[in-house]
Amino acid sequence: MAISNSEGDSAAKERERKRKRSAEVGPSPSKWRTVSERTLYSSKLLEALRRVRGTAPADPPRSRAVREAADRVLAVAARGRTRWSRAILSSRALKLKPRKRRPAGPARSKKPLAGAAEMKRSPVLQRKARVLGRLVPGCRKLSFPTILEEASDYIPALEMQVRVMSALAAMLSSSGAGAPLSDRLGSSQPF
Amino acid sequence: MSTRRSRSRRSSSSRITDDQIIDLVSKLQALLPESHRRSTERESAAKVLQDTCNYIRSLHQEMDDLSERLAELLATTETTSDQAAIIRSLLM
Repeated sequence: MAISNSEGDSAAKERERKRKRSAEVGPSPSKWRTVSERTLYSSKLLEALRRVRGTAPADPPRSRAVREAADRVLAVAARGRTRWSRAILSSRALKLKPRKRRPAGPARSKKPLAGAAEMKRSPVLQRKARVLGRLVPGCRKLSFPTILEEASDYIPALEMQVRVMSALAAMLSSSGAGAPLSDRLGSSQPF
Repeated sequence: MSTRRSRSRRSSSSRITDDQIIDLVSKLQALLPESHRRSTERESAAKVLQDTCNYIRSLHQEMDDLSERLAELLATTETTSDQAAIIRSLLM
């Protein structure tokens, strides 16, 4: 009886450990919405953008370079805890433009699914999940739930990125172009 | 002991439950732009996935536009490191 009790205890502890492990899936979405995260991203972005400006001066694809720099800095900010961020850092080529697929024909062959979520993995959902997997970097071949998890982190990260870059663009454009900023930083423009 | 281990191994090989999927989908729904309007009703997973794809695409588009704009602005504006610090503080 004592033995069976201890087995129950350690089984419970093991479940607790697994619960904690599975809970540490990745950063929570709200982490991207803090002021400190925005500030950190802003300063890193500024450094990266000044480097971009140094190299490739009159490049038409300089917007490409800006985009890639912004994505790299964003990926670094994720601190390696998500697949999308690791994918950005490991491959510079971020396929953004959706390639034209052949028009919606018969559903692709479904892989046989095991487990209790058969109902949730209808071909419609699988198809949409594949599309989502192509939109989130590094998520093309991942499982349905993993794609959802990655997307849940990717979206707030993108939102932060857009917010910081919009603020930066507004600030740079309100001060006009072609002259040092220090002359015009006196006028305060709310964003 | 070996039974316990093999039992735990089986349960850790993720057999995703319906509830977990529902949970993930509703978390995603909460992130979408119109979620505060529709927060009470739960949308179909297909709709949430579709809206998520559309939203990410629009964010990517915004990023491209902003990158282009910033590229032009950076080309013509000079910033010293002091001004960069000022920009940083103003961006808060």
